[in-house]
Amino acid sequence: MKSIPRRKFIYGTALAGGTLFLIPALKACKFLDTQSSGNYFLKEFGIDETLCRKLLEKALSKGGDFADLYFEYTVSNYLGLEDGKVNQSYGDISLGVGIRTVKGDQTGYGFTQDLTEESMMSVAATAATISDLNAASGGSSFSLLKTGNYYPVPADFNGIPGKSKLPLLQNINEKCFALSPEIVKVSAGFASETKRIMIFTSDGIQAEDLLPSGYLYASVVAERNGKREQSSWNLGGRRDFSFYTDNVIDEIAAKSVSDALKLFDAIQPPAGEMPVVLGPGVTGVLLHEAIGHGMEADFNRKKTSTYSTMLGKKVAEPFVNIIDDGTNMNLSGSINVDDEGTPGKKTVLVENGILTSYLHDKISAKHYGVEPTGNGRRQDFQNYPMPRMRNTYMLGGSASAEDVIKEAGNGIYVENVSNGQVNIGEGDFAFYVSQGRMIENGKLTAPIKDVNIMGNGPKMLTNIILAANDLEMFLGGGGQCGKNGQGVPVSFGMPTCLVKSLTVGGTQQKGGKS
Amino acid sequence: MINKKDQQLAFPELAEWVIARTRKAGANDCRVSLSKRRLVEINYRDHKPDVIKEATTQSLYLEVFVNNRHAGQSTPDFRQSTLEGFINDVVESAGIMEEDPFRTLPDPKYYEGKIITDLQLSDPGYNQMTPENRHTMAKTVEDACLSRGGDKVISVETGENDEFSEEYIKSSNGFEGSTKSTYYRVSASMTAQDKGDRHPESYSYAACRYMSDLPSLQEVGTEAAARTLDLMGCKKIPTVTLPIIIENRGASRVLSGLLSPMSGSSIQQKRSFLADKKGKPIGSKLLTIKDDPFLPRGLGSKYYDGDGFPARKRDLLTEGAVNEFLIDWYYSRKLGWEPTSGSISNLIVPPGTRSVEEIIKDLKRCILITGFIGGNSNSTTGDFSVGIIGKMFEKGQFVQNVAEMNIADNHLNFWNKLVEVADDPWIYSQARLPSLVIDNVVVAGI
Repeated sequence: MKSIPRRKFIYGTALAGGTLFLIPALKACKFLDTQSSGNYFLKEFGIDETLCRKLLEKALSKGGDFADLYFEYTVSNYLGLEDGKVNQSYGDISLGVGIRTVKGDQTGYGFTQDLTEESMMSVAATAATISDLNAASGGSSFSLLKTGNYYPVPADFNGIPGKSKLPLLQNINEKCFALSPEIVKVSAGFASETKRIMIFTSDGIQAEDLLPSGYLYASVVAERNGKREQSSWNLGGRRDFSFYTDNVIDEIAAKSVSDALKLFDAIQPPAGEMPVVLGPGVTGVLLHEAIGHGMEADFNRKKTSTYSTMLGKKVAEPFVNIIDDGTNMNLSGSINVDDEGTPGKKTVLVENGILTSYLHDKISAKHYGVEPTGNGRRQDFQNYPMPRMRNTYMLGGSASAEDVIKEAGNGIYVENVSNGQVNIGEGDFAFYVSQGRMIENGKLTAPIKDVNIMGNGPKMLTNIILAANDLEMFLGGGGQCGKNGQGVPVSFGMPTCLVKSLTVGGTQQKGGKS
Repeated sequence: MINKKDQQLAFPELAEWVIARTRKAGANDCRVSLSKRRLVEINYRDHKPDVIKEATTQSLYLEVFVNNRHAGQSTPDFRQSTLEGFINDVVESAGIMEEDPFRTLPDPKYYEGKIITDLQLSDPGYNQMTPENRHTMAKTVEDACLSRGGDKVISVETGENDEFSEEYIKSSNGFEGSTKSTYYRVSASMTAQDKGDRHPESYSYAACRYMSDLPSLQEVGTEAAARTLDLMGCKKIPTVTLPIIIENRGASRVLSGLLSPMSGSSIQQKRSFLADKKGKPIGSKLLTIKDDPFLPRGLGSKYYDGDGFPARKRDLLTEGAVNEFLIDWYYSRKLGWEPTSGSISNLIVPPGTRSVEEIIKDLKRCILITGFIGGNSNSTTGDFSVGIIGKMFEKGQFVQNVAEMNIADNHLNFWNKLVEVADDPWIYSQARLPSLVIDNVVVAGI
């Protein structure tokens, strides 16, 4: 547990005022071979089945239900442009193994960056201390896990010469300035990462994956009559370099610039409860906070979640279907295999308004006597896995977007969201709106910005009264979900959708009740 | 794997070797940071260890400057045989960057005045910590929390974690710095059963550099339970305008919105609503913010900053007026200003004379804000909006717990309404802030 609030979602590149903290957190690097074939850890470090069996035996030398090894080798790069020049280059190499011993719901964990037998055996001994029984079996043989392929790309960002990445940023810069004379500053960045993992479990599974991730972003400042406004946008996900075409560059530039200019007309939103319409796409952050975290099974087996007694019950209107999915092509939260050797899956949280499944890791699946759902994820080898979301979205309804807005009457329309947070126990959540509009008499009117919207998860679900047939997935690559100090990439999706009532944290005390 | 060339070098020798190699690879200048960290974490739940975690990590971060081009990369691999390739690659990465005349190591004159006082950042007793100590600590906190929480407890999780870290930094133009530090933290979080499906949750923690500075472990556990039970019956009330008191431990969440736009990067990039406010009042006379790196055992205390400038005590805001921005070497060059240091250490707001209890008694109606949720602050415009959890009082009498409510304002307006500072700086943080009383705030609810 850290002193920072838990379960805080930060969508990096759109974090208003967050640019100060954005760059140092990112990394860059240009080299290192990434072999696209398997056996990387065997070839480079001599990690073979015999050694893994020995390590697992050590990890279970004092008993326990199971043990696993998580080998990771990640190379991340960041290139940044400021004041017209690509002048920031940062890189990071992460290499190591995390060894875990699990007994019931107890976890022993150790990790090392030193992949020598001696060092790894010592870490396995540390993990073993969680138990104090007789030795359990470390497994006899391993079979390679067959998985889906949700990011079928060469994945070799590191093989791309750094020089060929520069034009991406130079083009974004030129395009942003060309779009409006009111743009006074442009910064842009290209982040790319290639993560190679290999997992061995005492129940006989060997799994490997090569996960690419990245994004291209622009952040602009516009000036009009001495007033300044900023906005940013990014696109990315688990894609290769060929994704970043001129069209993608155009889209990022156009959206950043038009969003910034729109803010000059923004008014102070009212304060109080009112209908809220969520535009399609990134507003799925609402689901992530309002229901996703509360459905993570660790909070439910500990009975702390507000949803811990609601499984099988009606929580929303029959047209509401909410899904957490690791199998969407190329999205940030997609995974071929989770970080404890369960294949990536699609998990239905709410089906026709009924709460159907929690998001499980192996510990919680055993607790509930169900199959793991492939949600056991971790930030890196330095951390143990826990139930985490992947791509969370709601299926579309049958209305049109116009109908949904009309039905709202008077309220708020949310276009872009920068971050959110939830208190699991109470189910109270918040998300921060960086772009939106007023809805007056069923029509979109003045822009609004910088307003926090609050609600209660279960209450919000029952208040979803209309959804349009326009589900859109968020295609950005900078989305990070934080839980107990660990960040993992996630994405969202949402159709245009009406929530009958949420609390809008504006500054004008006039509570616009409809 | 093991290369005969690879020998374990002490940090200063390894840094010297890296600098020589980097220069040979074609860099004009470079700076190398070496760090090592040992960490232990023990969590308890249901009277047994929930998690035991232990590890040691190391990192080498190399920044190179090649004809006004710059790149930085980190690696955990200290073997000289692989570092050679690493160094060549960092130099090559810098080479493909566009030229930026402001990208240089700092002028060495700014390194002068090395701090020689002992800031007591490393507890000499750290090595005496045993696994048994740690288990006992987590268990003691757990027992206290469970006992105070009583039959309302759904779940209690407690933890002890500690770290020993050392870093060594050397630049090719004469900076050398090193720090050893220790860190201890004990924490407890509790979830309680309220009416229906609401499960209020809260936590308490204490963090410090010396084991002996931890408060009583029972106190941490008891406080977590008390803070959770305090949230029972939380509800949203109609939107009101009244004075709020931001509790000491949460005050940095709102105050940080003032610090981000004080950075050289925000100012030079035109993303700062404070850029033209130097010397001008932006808040009430009570708003003085000091940055003090010299507090013995302070969590933010330090000898030097990221550029290698010796730490310096300063006033960021004095009686409501902006006194000094956070200008690092690079942005000082871009702005054409003198550098002041881009990083902060311990933040201090001079405390007042009255306790929160006394202040509450004098206010007709007020909300004591004990937690925040979501929210953000726009550094370009100063607008912010954040969700709150708190307790409403009327003339000192408790009225109602509130949640799912929100405060929003512009910083340039908000801090003018700072009417009192309490006497209770929160010592278990780098931000040693007292509780702050802000008058006339719209708290949005129903």
